[in-house]
Amino acid sequence: MMTTACSRRKFIAAMGATAGAWLARPAMPLARTVPASRVAVGTCHEYGPEVVGVLGNMFDQLGGLEELVRGKTVAIKLNMTGLANTRLGYLPPGITYWVHPQVVGATVHLLAKAGARRIRLLESPWVTAEPLEEFMLHANWEPRDFLGAAARVEFENTNYLGNGKKYSRFLVPGGGLMFKGYDLNHSYEDCDVFVSLAKLKEHKTAGVTLSMKNCFGITPCTIYGDGAPEDEPGLVPLGGRGPFHAMNRLPPKSAPPAVNANVFLSNAPKDPGGYCVPRVVADLVAARPVHLAIIDGIHTMTGGEGPWTGSRYVQPGLLVAGTNCVATDAVGMALMGFDPMADRGTPPFETCDSTLRLAEQLGVGTRDLNQIEVAGTPIAKARFNFRSV
Amino acid sequence: MNLDSKWVPMKWPCGPLEIARRNKAKSLNADLKEMLEACGQPSSLELLKGTPINCLIVDWANGKPEDSAQQQALKPLLDAGRRLGISFVGKVALKEGPGAAVAAGRAAGLSAVMLADASGQSFDLPAILQLEREKVSAETASTIFSTKENAWPGLNLDTMNGDTAMAGPTASPWVNSNGWFSLLAGKLAPGKTLWLDFDPPDSSSLLHPANYGLAIADSRAYGSRWIITLDDGLRAGLTKGNAQAKGVWGKLCEAVTFFENHSEWEAFEPQGILAVISDFHGDNAYLAEEVLNLLNRKQVQFQIVERSKSLQARTQGLKAILWLDKEAPSAEQHSQLLDFVRQGGLVIAAAYWGPPEVKPTRKDPSLQYMMYNVGEGQMAVSEGEFQSPDQVAVDTHLLVSRRNDLVRLYNPESTNCHSSIDPGHKKRLVQVLNYSLKPADSVTLWVNAQVGSARLWRLETRDALTLQGVAAAPGSDFGLPPLPVYCALEFEGSNL
Repeated sequence: MMTTACSRRKFIAAMGATAGAWLARPAMPLARTVPASRVAVGTCHEYGPEVVGVLGNMFDQLGGLEELVRGKTVAIKLNMTGLANTRLGYLPPGITYWVHPQVVGATVHLLAKAGARRIRLLESPWVTAEPLEEFMLHANWEPRDFLGAAARVEFENTNYLGNGKKYSRFLVPGGGLMFKGYDLNHSYEDCDVFVSLAKLKEHKTAGVTLSMKNCFGITPCTIYGDGAPEDEPGLVPLGGRGPFHAMNRLPPKSAPPAVNANVFLSNAPKDPGGYCVPRVVADLVAARPVHLAIIDGIHTMTGGEGPWTGSRYVQPGLLVAGTNCVATDAVGMALMGFDPMADRGTPPFETCDSTLRLAEQLGVGTRDLNQIEVAGTPIAKARFNFRSV
Repeated sequence: MNLDSKWVPMKWPCGPLEIARRNKAKSLNADLKEMLEACGQPSSLELLKGTPINCLIVDWANGKPEDSAQQQALKPLLDAGRRLGISFVGKVALKEGPGAAVAAGRAAGLSAVMLADASGQSFDLPAILQLEREKVSAETASTIFSTKENAWPGLNLDTMNGDTAMAGPTASPWVNSNGWFSLLAGKLAPGKTLWLDFDPPDSSSLLHPANYGLAIADSRAYGSRWIITLDDGLRAGLTKGNAQAKGVWGKLCEAVTFFENHSEWEAFEPQGILAVISDFHGDNAYLAEEVLNLLNRKQVQFQIVERSKSLQARTQGLKAILWLDKEAPSAEQHSQLLDFVRQGGLVIAAAYWGPPEVKPTRKDPSLQYMMYNVGEGQMAVSEGEFQSPDQVAVDTHLLVSRRNDLVRLYNPESTNCHSSIDPGHKKRLVQVLNYSLKPADSVTLWVNAQVGSARLWRLETRDALTLQGVAAAPGSDFGLPPLPVYCALEFEGSNL
């Protein structure tokens, strides 16, 4: 493993490799050689003003954001899973299982400072087409705080067609693991830079959440939800993404087809969620590449992705950021006390396949810490073992 | 004698009429007969000693052969009750001429009669009218009036799977509550007291035993009173001195006593920045009533305005008005509504009646409303007629915006709350009810005021605890202890 402060030139080169992978996606073979990457780790113990400074240093350690975002439209997928009124005990979701609003605000501010022209905050809230600002207010977030953090900030609920006239189609390079492509809200196409702003936490079905699993939520439930119609997308989301967990139905006929429709319905594996969810996530980050992955591990929870999984509040005091989502998640896993090379049967993937391995197989990035440069706080010094607390 | 709004009413089935009714319904057995006979004895009133229950509802005349025997049999009970300070209300269910029965009641010592229809007759005794819900109005309601079409509060048994509450289409467990109706009746018949008449569910169901504390709290929190009605099993248990039955009775009395000790809360007014306007009658009733029910379920705090009433004084402090009826406002109301909008308010309606030159825009693709900017405010006009009450409630909450929430519940499960304020606006009360039989755990109440602490009142304890708040801008969070049935948080200050 290399721990270095990288140069802006290297950062931009890495970005180019990722963007290039996206542009070349129709011809991308499986298991191709993946680029080396770098990831910054910062220590930050509270959600105060210090978050801006720590994140800013981390972005500098990655080489700065200016070349990536100057004059660009930046879309940020937030991690706001579940209902806005669900808490772990009495604790607000931002300090347990959602990215914290202070981290969102700091990110928006730093992106604007780096020259981003337009910043769009995106999430597909659970079973609703309501405006994202209202969903935030329900959790007692104040959307105006984000509006004040940059000159042009927009919000969109991407769980349905939203402000778009049609869904944007993203084909998976190499043909995909579960589906040949995915139809998504226009916001994921109408941006120059895509940021995944995630939480450092485990996941009952997929082992870990982190920046890649956060992208599971870019799929609109009007197409991929329990209540989606058979032929065309629904008008509003009905139900969650149960079909990806149960493999009990296919999306509407209008959506890109399954790679192998035979593995659905009666032929589904015994643990359909552990099979399907990681593959869908790997497909998604291959089809809709993440340019910047940020993981909030200042305060979080163990044992799963939300209070419904029975979990414990912890304070690792960590922030993680990188330009490659596989590498960033690999460092995130290592910080959580897991081996990023682990696969099915080994923690945290006891009952599922490794999203990291599958994404690596699709050529998205490497999970091998030996190929990842870590800037900032070394993993050994920052590690917070999720299974030993 | 006048009707006393402080009466705490309870049904007291006993005597020949009840025995004949049960016999006809083929539900009479030896134990039940023994219990019904025992309840007619003066000694049965021992049960009420030390409780606030001070008014018993007894069958008096049904137009059956047993009427005379019933009235004779009740005399010792009435005499004994009077000595204990208990008032009796005789239920008279006669199709024609209740005059003689009422006169007999007066002679026997009844304090009032309960009738379905007084039809302009005057009696020697005050009458408590039992009205159909849709007929409740200031003109029809007696000082104390009663309705029968009420729900047993709690999780909707039709949506239960074993002991698990199933989510409704709104993703919240379906609960039955009379709260919205109590609020509505308070507006339709102001200054009068509503007695809710409903029976407990079959006590043989172990999964869903009657939750008497909730029946009392769901009535009192919203300004009405439940006519306490015990299921046969509980009454039989109490007659035999069964310890478990005594425990249930003790809890019930504890709840009644709690609300009697806080009778000052009855003067508190419902808080709400949203006014819901309808005539709540005829074709408008279903939509309007369901919208009230569902807004309440979503913890949207609202005020009710009966359509014929002037809006002039009522728009102060409001941010939004929901006009539910198909009928357009009168010229005077039209002017008042537009004034409200011009000054920054929001009116939500199914038709546009603003200035014709204003061109609409859309606020959000998920909301099927066109927005008209008029002066400083807006009119939000539905693209079609209001149809689904749930959709109207959801849309209204979003159009008004959660930014204007007065209260929120986190981890609400099957809980709900009601916010009210004292006439001097110095004390605010938020009452939280748990509609499940399982205690609600880890519930946080958020209020839109920066208050450091609250007095926490619970049915189980006589004194209040001080509950510290946690700043959660622009308001405060209060983590509630496990909630079996009910608690109330009382706030004081000038910023409520």
